Amino acid sequence: MAFEWLNKFHKEMEKPVDYAQKTLAQYRLGMKAKGSIAGVAIAPDENGCAASKGLDATAVYHPDDAPHLPLPDCTKGRHCGCVYRPVMTYQMKSQ
Amino acid sequence: MPGVLARIPLFQAYRRFGWPKMLPINITLSPSPKCNSRCLTCNIWMKRENELTLAEWDKTLASLGTAPYWFTISGGEPLMFPGIVELAKLAYKHCQPGIINIPTNGILHSGPERVRAILESCPNSQLIINLSLDGVGEKHDFIRGVVGNFEKFEERLEQYLALRQEFPNFTVGIHSVISVFSVGHLDELIAYADQSGADQFITEIAEPRVELDTVGLPITPSPEEYAAAIDRLIAYVNGKRYKGVARITEAFRVEYYKLVKRILDEQDQVIACYAGWASAQIYADGTVWPCCVRADNLGNLRDHNYDFKEIWFGEKIKEVRRSIAAKECHCPLANASYTNMLMDVPTVSRVGVKVIKPDTIEVR
Repeated sequence: MAFEWLNKFHKEMEKPVDYAQKTLAQYRLGMKAKGSIAGVAIAPDENGCAASKGLDATAVYHPDDAPHLPLPDCTKGRHCGCVYRPVMTYQMKSQ
Repeated sequence: MPGVLARIPLFQAYRRFGWPKMLPINITLSPSPKCNSRCLTCNIWMKRENELTLAEWDKTLASLGTAPYWFTISGGEPLMFPGIVELAKLAYKHCQPGIINIPTNGILHSGPERVRAILESCPNSQLIINLSLDGVGEKHDFIRGVVGNFEKFEERLEQYLALRQEFPNFTVGIHSVISVFSVGHLDELIAYADQSGADQFITEIAEPRVELDTVGLPITPSPEEYAAAIDRLIAYVNGKRYKGVARITEAFRVEYYKLVKRILDEQDQVIACYAGWASAQIYADGTVWPCCVRADNLGNLRDHNYDFKEIWFGEKIKEVRRSIAAKECHCPLANASYTNMLMDVPTVSRVGVKVIKPDTIEVR
């Protein structure tokens, strides 16, 4: 995949304190405004804590229902490598 | 422009030895992420930020002095930002840039009125308005997520072309994003742009960016698809005859297209990236980034008394510069790439030869 380095880089970025609230609010607005966003997925940290191992990478959540990152039991705090990814309608159709 | 050329060896030394300390010549200002487009290739419009006020922009731009030559005022949709005219005036007052570049989706009726006000206020800067076009007719509306957008694009293009008659410092361009959604109808876009009357037709490949929240999305065409598209774009540029400054800009454009092809193919920077040395971005909330692809938080202007220099010559940026110099990233971001090409001696040499002898040397 092109620009694979960016996936890794993005996961390694330190998360702002309000990462979950702000990102999920953004997706909530996107869905409300009828953009081409269908929901939110979580790309788990490959080297993550025990809590992250239980995440389903294939699940598509409504922003209201998505787990908050970092997960409550995450040992990495703001350096948690799990990230939200928008899921677009065109991705759902192609599946 | 001679001042910019004189600074090239200084930037080369700065990147290599950390001295002399230089402020960027190319700065992107993103006053707001708000946008009235709903593009398939961009999610920035969903973001909301605690945006810098004009008073905060005033202090920030004052701290830059006359270092920046080229400003891009980006978004979101920049012409939706209520203070767009004042922001351009502040940039002009403090920095006296050679170029102010504003991309726009052409949806707003008030766009030309605001652009006129900027033109009247910034007579010694070249103002470039690039209208976004990702397809002809309904294809454009589909990709941009707004019914009737193409019709508005055409209205706006006509208005900007009329405005061009009044202002010699005004350039009107068409900008297309080559994505998986548009790569199939590139020929149609080229043909449309060719007869449009616009001064330039520029394209950029759709790429994932932290700023746009598109990391991981399948929007980038395959290297094979893009290579085929780029060959057609190069043939288009080479098939035309340009005069004056356009000969230089179009020679750089061909270089850019070939550079992108190599970046995709080799998954490498190919030429040294000067983001973090010669180019930078200031995001809506005051965060300074080296570029919008990585969007490393180099520091927030609000925490540094709006003094850009404190961040640019601070400690935090050092690790980011190390990472960029170590080629831990690569991307075809057009804004940074044009600065990078200007700093690359082989590229500039090829452009020079192409400009002097356009028919004898093929730009590679």
